[in-house]
Amino acid sequence: MTVYLRNSLTYAWSFLVGITLFSWWLARARGGEYQLDMAITVGVLVMAAVKAWLVIAHFMEVRGGPAWLKRTTYGWVVGVLALLLAAYAFSH
Amino acid sequence: MSNTEAAVMADTGSEQGAAGYLPGEPGMWFFIIGDLLIFGVYFIAYVIYRGQQPELFLHSQAFLNQGIGVTNTLVLLTSSWCLALGTQAARSGQRRDAVRLLALTGVIGGLFPFLKLLEWAPKLAAGHTPGENLFFMYYYVMTGLHLCHVLLGLVIIGFMLRHLRRAPAPNIKFIEAGAIYWHMVDLLWLLLFALFYLMR
Repeated sequence: MTVYLRNSLTYAWSFLVGITLFSWWLARARGGEYQLDMAITVGVLVMAAVKAWLVIAHFMEVRGGPAWLKRTTYGWVVGVLALLLAAYAFSH
Repeated sequence: MSNTEAAVMADTGSEQGAAGYLPGEPGMWFFIIGDLLIFGVYFIAYVIYRGQQPELFLHSQAFLNQGIGVTNTLVLLTSSWCLALGTQAARSGQRRDAVRLLALTGVIGGLFPFLKLLEWAPKLAAGHTPGENLFFMYYYVMTGLHLCHVLLGLVIIGFMLRHLRRAPAPNIKFIEAGAIYWHMVDLLWLLLFALFYLMR
């Protein structure tokens, strides 16, 4: 059992849970309703991208994978985050 | 295929590149990268459409059940964690641990569709249907598409479990490929959760 608890996968999972709870707390309704808020949006999208990277690197084991796989999957995370932030900034 | 064969493939296969071990099968990775690209386009289109009617989207977002949203995120993260540990156990020959961890993955992952139905049913009953507005159309189509991925993933986990229990020498590439698919399902949900429930 200890081998599963003292495992980099378990550390990654703890971090993922922590970020999830923090982003949920950050986006909670203030005054009973939601308002447009760029800071919260940027925060939750960046945290989602960090979580996506953790899942790809640790759970999908891409961190030990070939270079083309790292470039493609990490590139997807960075590209999608950049385009989401740009789309939000220019459309809202 | 034995662990040794898998390691040899990692060293010699042209698709593996100069260094690094490719978990699972190349075909699964092409499917996953394609799926990620398609979902990526949907995510960006959603934010652009949101920008055209931000008040409507914010108002509609308030009808989503945040508690179920965050619970389902924790459910998928935890089931993915169990599966990653199970894959590691299978690779190192700890078959009994691998079977237990995969069974746990399936049980925890099975909560997701159940919670999703608990979330959808009251909303649909209250008249929040896909036809109500663009937000709910996107919400039902994208979370519905994702739910189909979850259901397929649960079937794949069932096949992985059967293979681990019955095969004389488990094919670790098959276990890895199924695991990668389930982690992708988890990964897509992380972004759906941020876009539908959390962004403001």
